[in-house]
Amino acid sequence: MSIIAAVAESLEGTLALNAGIDEARSRDEDLVIFNLGLTPVDPSDVPAGIQWRVIEREGRGDRDPVDALLDEIADDPRISRVVIGLRRRSPMGKALLGSVSQRILLNSPVPVLSVRPDQPE
Amino acid sequence: MAGSTKGNVYALPPLTKGPHSRRLGIIAYVATFGGLLFGYDTGVINGALEPLRRELQINATTEGFVVSILILGAAVGALLGGRLADAIGRRKTILYLAIIFIVGTVLCSLAPNWEALAVGRFILGLAVGGASAIVPVYLAEISPQETRGSLVTRNEVMIVSGQFAAFVINAILYQIWGHHDFIWRYMLIVAVLPAIALLVGMIFLPESPRWLISQGQHKNALVVLEQVRDKERAAAEMAEVEHLAEEENKTQTAGWADLAVPWVRKLVIIGALVGVFSQFSGINAVMYYGSQLLENAGFSADAAIVFNTLNGLFSVSGVLICIYLINKISRRKMIITGFVLTTTFHLLIALTAQLLPEGDLKMWLILVFVLCFVISMQGAIGPLSWLILSELFPLKIRTFATGVAVTCLWLANALVAFVFPPLIAGLGIAGTFFIFFGIGVVAIIVLHRELPETGGKSLEQFEEEFQTGFIEKVKGSAQ
Repeated sequence: MSIIAAVAESLEGTLALNAGIDEARSRDEDLVIFNLGLTPVDPSDVPAGIQWRVIEREGRGDRDPVDALLDEIADDPRISRVVIGLRRRSPMGKALLGSVSQRILLNSPVPVLSVRPDQPE
Repeated sequence: MAGSTKGNVYALPPLTKGPHSRRLGIIAYVATFGGLLFGYDTGVINGALEPLRRELQINATTEGFVVSILILGAAVGALLGGRLADAIGRRKTILYLAIIFIVGTVLCSLAPNWEALAVGRFILGLAVGGASAIVPVYLAEISPQETRGSLVTRNEVMIVSGQFAAFVINAILYQIWGHHDFIWRYMLIVAVLPAIALLVGMIFLPESPRWLISQGQHKNALVVLEQVRDKERAAAEMAEVEHLAEEENKTQTAGWADLAVPWVRKLVIIGALVGVFSQFSGINAVMYYGSQLLENAGFSADAAIVFNTLNGLFSVSGVLICIYLINKISRRKMIITGFVLTTTFHLLIALTAQLLPEGDLKMWLILVFVLCFVISMQGAIGPLSWLILSELFPLKIRTFATGVAVTCLWLANALVAFVFPPLIAGLGIAGTFFIFFGIGVVAIIVLHRELPETGGKSLEQFEEEFQTGFIEKVKGSAQ
């Protein structure tokens, strides 16, 4: 079985990747790194013991990152859970763009593990 | 699969001359009629407006509306045209566009009132926008990589030549039948001739091989390639075309959701600004309203329409200069210098109009400064801004980001076309060009601060530098 880490191009992306590594290690599963962003993801942090592969978005069919991730999960029955990073969103951001995390939480057919950055204060 | 190179040079056998190269020449010639029509239909209103205003009794606002609605149609046509060309093919789409050109032209020249004229011009705009989006793609897809660049710039030359031709024909018709109010109808109907030429020519042209491959029609693609290359080269090129079709799919990866990522957002905004600033230079105010501008400066209607042809001539010369300079000067330096020049001439036009008394000196000075503005704009900004847009966006965001930037460009173009007549009526030449001057100063500052250099690098080099630079900055500020 494998864990899929949904990695965005930001701080939460790094968090999701690290949490995915921990999860894969403790459950002794493979790691699938799903890049929600467009800059190639850097898998050099993944320790040697873990089997991993990267999936990049490619082409018109992957235009929506959440749909692309959900399609991947639907196509691969070996995926046991999703790891995502949450982030604080500005009111402007909320008004303009839907929440990626919310859509994954509501639509994922497998359990979702979410991690968030340490809140300042 | 991350390795992707637009400028990837496949080891191909050299181009040879023969029946196939002549056929390619004919294809390029016919297809650029699309560019010529684009220019003619946008330029023809310049010169037609004065008699048109007399017959249809329009004021400054309805005038701006009738002129700018073609540009709004073009914005829509550019978006829909691209989709249609992906769905039914380049060739069929251009055929339909030729028919729309003919229908729109006839509707416009028969219009009984300004409302009907507006409808006709919107329809014409759909074809103009569609042609602007698809003809360059068709040309790029059918021409060999060695000549791809020059064929596409040829289309740019055809656009300004179309405008120039419209100015000249308008001036001639006006000299002969200027006293007839309906002369504008003759001016407009002339555009039906190149539209018919495009339609007839296009019937004999082949579909784009790259589109055929994207549809899985490999056999047909090879048949087309064998018409326009020698046998050996055609076979060798199939692999390249297939690779380009794959690349093409990758360019469509990004969508609105990716605007959440700072570097994507920033590049899309810079691209949109390049388009918007180039339009806010007011080049098309001169291309659409040049005759009236000169009349307003003091020329007689007769003289204005004659001297307006100089605007067309300087525009064509400017584009030729730009093509000559384009790879000799860095992109950033060239476009910023261009804006410094155009903004200086805006100021000179405004000051002349403001300070000099009505008379010969004033009107001749305004003519000279307008011509200087036109040649600086087309010589340093016009074609270059399109080139910058084609280089600015990394592969995966290219289709989306170019779409946003080009739509913003068309909307800015429409806005200038709409507000220019009321502005001139309300503020005069001086006030209007002080506004252009102000926007130009903002453009210089913003481009100087934000525009990255894209020239002299492969697209991948630029992509990597921009993204890493940005990610370092984001990471730095997050810690």
